[in-house]
Amino acid sequence: MKLRVWGARGSVPAPGPHMNRYGGNTSCIELELPNGEMLILDAGTGIRTLGVDLNTSPRINILLTHLHLDHIQGLMFFAPCFRADSTITIWGPASPEASLEDRIARYISAPLSPVEVRELPCSVAFRDAPPTEWELGGATIRAEAVTHRGPTLGYRISDGETTIAYIPDHEPGLGTRLGELEPEWISGYDLAKDADLLIHDCQYADDEYDAHVGWGHSKLGDTLTFAHRVGARRLMLFHHDPLHSDEFLDGLAEEARARWEKLGGDPETVSMGAEGDEIAVRPGVQAVHA
Amino acid sequence: MDGRPTQKPLELILARNLLTSLSTPAFLVDDEATVVFYNEAAAAVLGRSFEESGAMTAEEWTAAFGPLDRDGEPVKVDRLATTEAIRAGRPAHATFTIRAANGTPRTVEASAFPIVASEEGSSGAMILFWPQPSNGGSA
Repeated sequence: MKLRVWGARGSVPAPGPHMNRYGGNTSCIELELPNGEMLILDAGTGIRTLGVDLNTSPRINILLTHLHLDHIQGLMFFAPCFRADSTITIWGPASPEASLEDRIARYISAPLSPVEVRELPCSVAFRDAPPTEWELGGATIRAEAVTHRGPTLGYRISDGETTIAYIPDHEPGLGTRLGELEPEWISGYDLAKDADLLIHDCQYADDEYDAHVGWGHSKLGDTLTFAHRVGARRLMLFHHDPLHSDEFLDGLAEEARARWEKLGGDPETVSMGAEGDEIAVRPGVQAVHA
Repeated sequence: MDGRPTQKPLELILARNLLTSLSTPAFLVDDEATVVFYNEAAAAVLGRSFEESGAMTAEEWTAAFGPLDRDGEPVKVDRLATTEAIRAGRPAHATFTIRAANGTPRTVEASAFPIVASEEGSSGAMILFWPQPSNGGSA
């Protein structure tokens, strides 16, 4: 599978001269499915740029992990939403409180938005992610709830040869010791097990975490431990804190590789997600940057 | 993927994390009434740690710890009003006698409530013990 990162930032867009290399746009990843269709993971502000480049009449599936603003903010600026020839299906977590459409419409509606969902010219459908696996464009998708604030999903996408796990907002170490826990008690374990590429929350450096316990995000140490426990073959650190500059993230990446090597991993299999990254994920072996 | 999740539902994972942090004796059972975790405070009441006992089916639990009837005989979990309530999706509160690992009977008040995260029903229940200080049940 091929993927492209359109936004790797967490919480809020963070543009600026010190953020240019990793980028300031919030979570959005494009995947090319086996049948050529497009699958988009989250609709943070990165999806706006993705939409600008789309010239064909698109049939698009968007998997939302949850509805925090940094994962849906780009929807209202996604060009295909304003094209009558677009067919868009948006998948997300179910809630007993309101439908997915109604919850997203709280953002795409007055006074926060100049347009309403019903005014979008595209053909758009909203679907609760089912509790069992389902097929999209030749890929098998699986969604499961993971530890974060509010109903939040992680996704496992497999084309039969390669598997990508996408868990951008995740705090599996909350209230527990990940290194000692049995696998069945680790949030997200099944989603990420043996993934060829794990894209995972790494919002905080270890020394920043104590001030953010319970905020729903991981420190580097927990991200590495989680990746190690699930046997991820490659790890992309994701959902960067808006306060983390390029220089800071360079240092965090260097630390991550050194610690991964101490865990027995190949340091070259750990990367810091950056806007513009294009990756061809290969099965069972190290992925290669395209 | 084999299609069959091996990990616990998220709500049970989070409940276990909570129980670990409590000084109130507390237990976690899954949707088959298997005791899948209890905390250190509960271990103090039972006289056996969860690490020692591991997960226990309802039958194993009853044989080891009760609850006991007036004659000191184990009562099947299925016959407890508390079990009926939990299975019906309702909370329950009851007082009964259990037997610690060393054979000492202890009277406890128990509050139980189902853990429900979807329309498909509960994925288990959380049970808190309120030991009676008069019979050495304090944790």
